[in-house]
Amino acid sequence: MAKLPVSVDKIIEQFGPHKSYTPKEGFEGNFEPDKIVKTHCCFCGMQCGIQLKVKDNKVTGFEPWMEFPFNEGRLCPKGVQRYLQNNHPDRLLNPLKRVEGVGFLPIEWDDAMEKTVSEIKRIQNEYGNNAFGMLSGVSLTNEKSYMIGKFARVALKTANLDYNGRLCMVSAGAGNKKAFGIDRISNSWSDLEHAEVILIAGSNVSETFPTLTHYIWQARDNGARLIIVDPRITPIARTADLHLPVLPGTDSALFGAILKILVDNNWLDKEFIQNHTSGFNEAVNAVKDYTLDWAEKVTGVKAEKIQKAAEWWGKAKTSFLLHARGIEHHTKGVDNVLSCINIVLATGRIGKPYCGYGTITGQGNGQGGREHGHKCDQLPGNRDITNPEHRKFISEIWGIDEKDLPGKGLTAYELIEAIHRGEVKGLISICFNPLISLPNNSFVREALEKLEFYVSIDFFLNETARHADIILAGSLHEEEEGTVTTAEGRVVKINEAVTPPGNARRDKDIIMELARRLGAGDKFNYENSEAIFNELRIASKGGTADYFGITYQRIEENMGVFWPCPSLDHPGTPRLWEDKKFATNDGKAHFNPVPFREPSEVTDNEYPVVLTTGRVVSQYLSGSQTRRIGKLVDQYPQPLLEIHPELASKYGIKDGDLITVATRRGEANFPAQLVETIRKDTVFIPYHWGGKQSANQLTIGTLDPVSKIPEFKVCACRLVHTGIKASDKLKETAYQSY
Amino acid sequence: MYRLVKTLNRQALVNATVSIFVVIAIVIAGSRNLQNFDAALVAYLFGTVFAVFGIAYRYSVWLQRPPTRLYWYRSWQFLFSKNFIPYALRSLKLFLRNILLQRFIYPRGKLRWFGHLMLAVGCVLAFAITIPLTFGWIHFTLDPNSISTYNAHFFGFVVTSFELGTPIAVITFHALVWCSVIVTIGAVIMLRRRLTDGGLIATQTFEGDWLPLFLLIAISVTGIGITYDYTFLQGRTHQFMSVTHAITVILFLIWLPFGKFFHIFQRLAQLGANIYKVEGMKRGMAVCPHTKEEFASITHIEDLKNVSKKLGFDFSLKNGGSHLDLSPEGKRSALAKAHYKARKESGKFFG
Amino acid sequence: MAVSEYNQEMEFFVDMQRCIGCHACEMACAECETNGQESMIHVHYIDRAVSVQTTVQVCMHCDEPACATVCPADAITKDNFGVVHSANTSRCIGCSNCVLACPFGVPIKFEESELMMKCNMCYDRTSAGKKPMCATVCPSQALYYGTREEIRKRRPESVPVNTFKFGELEVKTKVKIMMPKGATKIIVD
Ligand code: SF4
Ligand code: SF4
Ligand code: SF4
Repeated sequence: MAKLPVSVDKIIEQFGPHKSYTPKEGFEGNFEPDKIVKTHCCFCGMQCGIQLKVKDNKVTGFEPWMEFPFNEGRLCPKGVQRYLQNNHPDRLLNPLKRVEGVGFLPIEWDDAMEKTVSEIKRIQNEYGNNAFGMLSGVSLTNEKSYMIGKFARVALKTANLDYNGRLCMVSAGAGNKKAFGIDRISNSWSDLEHAEVILIAGSNVSETFPTLTHYIWQARDNGARLIIVDPRITPIARTADLHLPVLPGTDSALFGAILKILVDNNWLDKEFIQNHTSGFNEAVNAVKDYTLDWAEKVTGVKAEKIQKAAEWWGKAKTSFLLHARGIEHHTKGVDNVLSCINIVLATGRIGKPYCGYGTITGQGNGQGGREHGHKCDQLPGNRDITNPEHRKFISEIWGIDEKDLPGKGLTAYELIEAIHRGEVKGLISICFNPLISLPNNSFVREALEKLEFYVSIDFFLNETARHADIILAGSLHEEEEGTVTTAEGRVVKINEAVTPPGNARRDKDIIMELARRLGAGDKFNYENSEAIFNELRIASKGGTADYFGITYQRIEENMGVFWPCPSLDHPGTPRLWEDKKFATNDGKAHFNPVPFREPSEVTDNEYPVVLTTGRVVSQYLSGSQTRRIGKLVDQYPQPLLEIHPELASKYGIKDGDLITVATRRGEANFPAQLVETIRKDTVFIPYHWGGKQSANQLTIGTLDPVSKIPEFKVCACRLVHTGIKASDKLKETAYQSY
Repeated sequence: MYRLVKTLNRQALVNATVSIFVVIAIVIAGSRNLQNFDAALVAYLFGTVFAVFGIAYRYSVWLQRPPTRLYWYRSWQFLFSKNFIPYALRSLKLFLRNILLQRFIYPRGKLRWFGHLMLAVGCVLAFAITIPLTFGWIHFTLDPNSISTYNAHFFGFVVTSFELGTPIAVITFHALVWCSVIVTIGAVIMLRRRLTDGGLIATQTFEGDWLPLFLLIAISVTGIGITYDYTFLQGRTHQFMSVTHAITVILFLIWLPFGKFFHIFQRLAQLGANIYKVEGMKRGMAVCPHTKEEFASITHIEDLKNVSKKLGFDFSLKNGGSHLDLSPEGKRSALAKAHYKARKESGKFFG
Repeated sequence: MAVSEYNQEMEFFVDMQRCIGCHACEMACAECETNGQESMIHVHYIDRAVSVQTTVQVCMHCDEPACATVCPADAITKDNFGVVHSANTSRCIGCSNCVLACPFGVPIKFEESELMMKCNMCYDRTSAGKKPMCATVCPSQALYYGTREEIRKRRPESVPVNTFKFGELEVKTKVKIMMPKGATKIIVD
């Protein structure tokens, strides 16, 4: 019964989002805080170091943390305003129960737990264990990610656990595993500093990872050339030495063509290819017809530009290739990633100083969270749940019979589809807001409404949780100790600044209590976060993501340790592959043939315009946190439809007009923003908003066959002028997801 | 400012001298040829005369500065225009709102507003009482036909009389005590801010910010001391109390034209600035060539071009326009464009 | 009153071409104790329709500040470190002369409180030996606070410039703008 209990307006009135601001004269006591806690920003994979000021168990402000080596005090606007998520009027202080016609009422923990556990048992008894699914997220610490992986398999005994990293960088993970055997960026950021060429594909670095900009700018100061592949001229692309405005969905064609140019001009590292890689010929064979003319036609990027990019890349002595969601959110996300890896391997520029490659992980703990087992096919240490040896190893640590360890489950979007089909009847979610973040979200809503029981653990009532039967008031990032792994593979420490307010509890304690009530209490007997981490260390030992040598103490002393770190005297590994021993079966890096294929939906007469989505600097993912922080909302209050004036003129669209964007999934209205900084055949909408202004009503739910990532970055749409100007009301209320 | 004071200013000297003669004249008139003048207050009178001299002098010097003079001139010009009545009413309203109630401080902080209001109300009331007393305009006499009825005289005329011990008597004779209490409350609030607000702590100075508060507190405390003395100590410490009080008050008066308290007199210019703005808007708004939006009145921009030129800032551009035609955002953009152009011409954005 | 630890070796350098328009500086500026949750820095697009170019503007702390010169209330002062301060709250009459006269478009008039405020380079921080908020957080280091030596090493292709020409008028400032090598002034017209 997961329909809204009352009108959405009523829910918003009570639970927000409300915008919060710091009072004019600051929060009480900010000038003389009780303590200043070193921790990290929670709003992206950079995990910038920050110090939170605390007075009377409330976060009242921040002070830059100048010593933390990655960011040395630098922050983006989200980081600066991060402290405002604490002390927030929307904060859930009690467990809540859905009451039809009334809304959500606070209840006792005991009742909430009791109800949850009895529903789990009922559903599992009636429909089988796998009919109860779990969705998790990677804003959670390593400890919680690990614990949830164990909880789902050991306490909930379901195979159907997946996480929102599925919408993030799984394509990169899959590609990296295929090519290198390890899913991690190959170098620390400091290797960017002296790279001669930096190629960034599908990453709006300046808005999504602002603090990484410093490293790129530094490289340019040292003479680096910057190449950006993006359908839009983003702030990082504006001054780039070369901007390739690629048509969404054609990245692999571009990189295929570049590979061909490298080969044709012999800009190759033959020695490296020969000794340390396999599959070169097949990869080259797959692109043998990808001439410049062909590539120009397919990608829409001028041949000279492609040629130039290939030449710069080919002739450089050091280089760094980075990519992010722009090439990963595709039905060929893995292909795109592999096509990038191919040009890195062809030139042999990896495993050396200032030579690197990697994905820029998006979510706060997108890196660590994808290593320790809350993926449907994964066990801690980035082990494989279908691998008998791995199963045995982990079962022993968990003290269970290997036969009782569930197998591979459904991926996130498939899980929603299974709910929609009626196969999965119950759901528990934590740190995941699929109603905003999944594509074709009307379908997601339908699925949610079919659930017999839905319980959500969160600190705010997010848009998805509006459909829940029970909400368990959990903890914020700053309310629980733990570790996260940054996008460069550095394991860092999150420190508890305050304790959860009211009757809210730490996520860890909630999960432990649920496990106890599900009869697995003995397996979840952790005294503190460190105890979980110590178990994680052992569970990851010998896996590809080996944390064994990392301890809380070592992290604190060194301001982070890079994994793999297999033993206590191991210094950690900022740069992978220096020994050229890759983690694949044959110890070599693998080329992969990447023949080009079209996206799942291409433009036609009915839907003639390409739609792509992305982010803005002031918002984070589904906005559940950042749409509650006043200044971040005000900076970019509502999603705008970026459209080139030439395309706009075809429809008589003027700046500020309200435009209906329609796809085969649905339609929604957005104010037009006429800008020359986008391709003439493509429109762009940022996706952080829910309800009527949610871009993901339009996107397509087709998945990459390997990574199962949805194709957020390309689909076909139609534009219809509503004939009116966009109203201010639309702007003022967008953040609420009404 | 100090630079200006160093070499005495002729015009200001004349104005200041005239104003002390005016003061002396009204003292003589008001006290019926000094008949009603209380000799015990003579030190205060000298202090006041000095303060008047200083204020008039400084005000005159101040008015000679081109931007101030312009505002001064424009304020009167616009006030005594055909719109005299609306502007006069508007000024009156703003006077009540911003000068008396100081509502403009409210958005800067509630407590801050309250504290300042207390200071201001206390001081203004105290002035309103002490100046007429000092000048001999007001004095009290025991009614010849009674032993408990007091007559209050103003300019020598009996204006009211009251019985000793009645509330009105208590209020009248203790009015200054109440003022002192109010001022002290205000001063304590403001002191507390200065101790706990990081921004103030960083920028405050002793003579500019702390001394004025200390002085006000000293005046209040010694003032209360006099009352305390004759109420509870039978006047045993009267000598001491009245001397210390006199010293603090006279210090205050002497310092009035030079230190922070001069803002009391400058504040009135806010009313002029307001009329200037309103009339300017009526006369037409300037549109920024960059943002294409209105941003200030044409009158203001044109006046400013003249004033700044007089002060050595000639913003005329080669194309005949002026940098001042741009709105602040336009100016920032102009600089950014110039920077962009320079970078572009060099062929490199980074280095 | 606090003992000043102002380090005059440290200088402020700006390079708007590095700015990515993130507004971190703007939000951080409001955290500065002297600013009461108001931001004194300006970040905006130049012309969003054609480019994502943004500019960022702090007070340049002019040697001869136009803002102070045109102030009818003597509310703006420059201190011994060359820092031009926000309007003295007790004096400022809210006339906006400074807002309109500053050649860099810096001061902000708060209508409600009839008060001008402006960037004072985070006086609460700089006078305590810390870096200003904006330059601390700026992720692109378009705003840089450090020694001349440091910036020379880090940005070998640029030179700091602090002379601005507006028509015939020359303005010199404490804050420097990073310009291509060889440049000695910026010509704005
Ligand atoms: S770059 Fe990422 S981690 Fe750093 S402050 Fe911004 S959101 Fe937080
Ligand atoms: S930049 Fe503007 S506000 Fe700053 S000192 Fe110069 S004139 Fe004054
Ligand atoms: S913080 Fe830096 S990059 Fe961001 S807007 Fe400010 S100046 Fe620009």
